[in-house]
Amino acid sequence: MGVISEGKNLSRLTNPGPDEELRSVLEGKAFEDYKSPLFIAWQLNAECNLGCLHCCEEAGHSMPDEMSKEQALDFCRQIVELDIPYVAISGGEPMLCPHIFDVCEYIRSNDISLKIETNGEFIDDEVARRFADLKMRSVQISLDGATSGAHEQLRLAGDWEKAVEACKRLIGYGVNTEIVFVPTKFNIHEIGDIIDLAYSLGVYGFYTGKMMRIGRAAKNWDILCSTEEEYAKFFETLQAKTKEYEGKMKIYHYPYDVVEELKYRLECPSASLLVIPNGKVKLIGPLPFLCGDLTKSSLQEVWEDYQKAWRHPDVIDFTNKVVADPKLLCESNNWIEI
Amino acid sequence: MRLTEHTKIRKEKFGTVVFETLTEKIFVVSEHGGDILELVKDGKELSEIVDELSSNYDGEREAIEKDVVEFTDALKASNLIIE
Repeated sequence: MGVISEGKNLSRLTNPGPDEELRSVLEGKAFEDYKSPLFIAWQLNAECNLGCLHCCEEAGHSMPDEMSKEQALDFCRQIVELDIPYVAISGGEPMLCPHIFDVCEYIRSNDISLKIETNGEFIDDEVARRFADLKMRSVQISLDGATSGAHEQLRLAGDWEKAVEACKRLIGYGVNTEIVFVPTKFNIHEIGDIIDLAYSLGVYGFYTGKMMRIGRAAKNWDILCSTEEEYAKFFETLQAKTKEYEGKMKIYHYPYDVVEELKYRLECPSASLLVIPNGKVKLIGPLPFLCGDLTKSSLQEVWEDYQKAWRHPDVIDFTNKVVADPKLLCESNNWIEI
Repeated sequence: MRLTEHTKIRKEKFGTVVFETLTEKIFVVSEHGGDILELVKDGKELSEIVDELSSNYDGEREAIEKDVVEFTDALKASNLIIE
């Protein structure tokens, strides 16, 4: 009968990047071959209670034209209709969106995998219980230090204790919980300690990788970006900790930077969409291009426009310029409709 | 048999995509593999899957069963399906 199976890691969907093995497996299966995206990254709202120096979205205040609850639920309906298997919701701070649970319930009631990315400051017992009932794929908490000092220095108005308590509470209710840690000059030396902390809390997975030079992080690049020596030590510790916790806790790290990512993406775009709070769809986080508007077009139409946009001469030209001069990454949130 | 909690499948023109969303690993299987996975998704047991495939495809039942067992064992090893 000839049953063939092939398996490769597709971490590029959420942590996209060059992957030679994957490239060979998916040869002949370009993103144009997919009838719809495999993954949606959805920034539900722009409001955030924090002012993180390294925020890749420059989150803070709501956008004036964010999708309404009805529009958001209509988008969910289309996600179901197009049989999209996996959605990750972030913000801003998504827990500040008044219809967060309406959206989560719609998605989960249709058996789509769902991940929430939050700063953890609004996870009380009731919220943790609701996430447990929804059987989420995971809730990911941003924790940028093994102690309050570095975390709160980076995440202005952030409360380290609350983030740690959120992890404990979620785990207590049986929610699959993950931690994400972004290394900067302020906290890169804490990598070993924070992995130990994550394990002691009982989290499922720990995510890290080089800080992305986009959004507010790009504007604060000179004060935040670690040196090559600091990164070398960071990756050395990370490697040792990954070995130490093998089989006990998943540690994921993405070794490529944004420029390497863009070079690869130009050749091999991913089968995923990045939706911002007003329903517009970005080609990819580090580029300023918008390829659709879900308040005006269907998800199917936007998927087709996304595919065409990657082949647009302006996109190719600008991406090559960014690769040559990464300072242009500061433009990532000055949107250009394509 | 059934798919594991975070495993999703979707038919594409080049085969069936099997997406283990917890580990974010993707697998691509042939049309026949996709048919087996659809039956697994419906909660069918091994013998029921073999019965169904034997009635839909040419070939000895024994050979089909061998293929199905090999395939489902590989999926179990990758934590994509469970008994």
